[in-house]
Amino acid sequence: MKRRWFTLESSGNTTAAALGLAAAVMLVPANLLPVLTTATSGNDRDDTILSGVIELWRRNLAPIAIIVFTASIVIPFAKLVGLAWLLFSTRNGPPRDPCLPTRIYNALDFIGRWSMLDVFLAAFLTGLVEFGQFATVEARSGIVAFAAAVILTVLATAAFDPATLWHAPNRTTPGPASP
Amino acid sequence: MSAEDDPLICAVCGQHHQRVHLKPGEKAECLRCDTVLARGRWMGPEAPLVFAVTGIILAVPACLLPFITAGKLGDKRVSLLFTGVGALWDNGMRTLSMLVLFMGGIVPIGLLVTLVLLLAPPPSRRCVLDPRELARVAAWLERWAIPEVQVLAILVALLKLGSLVDVELGPGFWCYCAMTLSLIFALCGVEKQRLPDGQAILTPEHPK
Repeated sequence: MKRRWFTLESSGNTTAAALGLAAAVMLVPANLLPVLTTATSGNDRDDTILSGVIELWRRNLAPIAIIVFTASIVIPFAKLVGLAWLLFSTRNGPPRDPCLPTRIYNALDFIGRWSMLDVFLAAFLTGLVEFGQFATVEARSGIVAFAAAVILTVLATAAFDPATLWHAPNRTTPGPASP
Repeated sequence: MSAEDDPLICAVCGQHHQRVHLKPGEKAECLRCDTVLARGRWMGPEAPLVFAVTGIILAVPACLLPFITAGKLGDKRVSLLFTGVGALWDNGMRTLSMLVLFMGGIVPIGLLVTLVLLLAPPPSRRCVLDPRELARVAAWLERWAIPEVQVLAILVALLKLGSLVDVELGPGFWCYCAMTLSLIFALCGVEKQRLPDGQAILTPEHPK
């Protein structure tokens, strides 16, 4: 029988893999479609996530540009890469040295929430800047795809069972009680 | 079995540990995976409950008082915490507006209420809910409550707006910041654990 190159059945993390894959798909429109439209005195400007970061950088708001770039671009991709690595390392049972994957899992669990920054930013600007023909900000479809991608990455991390880094699934928690 | 006899189970790897007494500033790490299990608290045992109650009280003005005032060419617009939610709803992005409403408002407030029910001393806990269920609900809410991200987003938005409009922070914003801090401090007094069935729970800190 031909051996499958990649299987997650033994690790029990198929849901995490499916959600991670869906998040990766959603990140494509999230980064290609505009997330915000800013209209000031007749000038309309559509911004994607990346063009918004570049615009902040051009306006000498480098620290803010770095925060938005990290939260909206680096973290979602880092989460997907990290999750893929965790899934790959547990595909045939627990890895030989689970300490590093466990640290990565803890980091992914912590950083995931910060990706919602751009979604809150879009909601806040849309509600605040409504001055008719003088200035308006409107959320666009890219932000919906981005929010979906972020939620899917959070769900994927939540669905990943970190215990599979230490022992095979369906086994009782091992190890003696230690001081 | 007393609370001290309960094993502390690592939320990540499931390792069982015996409880030890921690001095303020000390932290207990999992012997197997190095995840931080507990920290020695600086404040008294009632502090998390006090912070949770404070957070609930602050949530009321945070929702009702002016959040930000924006002005452009003499026209002023006062926005509340959930004005953005309404704007997204009107734009047809209803799912997104519900998401912002839940993660920035309802879930953090729900978590504060759950923490109060969880941390309140048993004689005064007028709750028919099982504490274990509350602990599960708290752990679930903790994953989705992200008011600190909303605060950062607002600060970024204010800098991003720059010269586009004149903005003025209102009392609602400061109450929301204080509510967020109260929630963070209240969460410092609970332990994240893992049940033998793999479910995560938040439990009040036991004496160690």
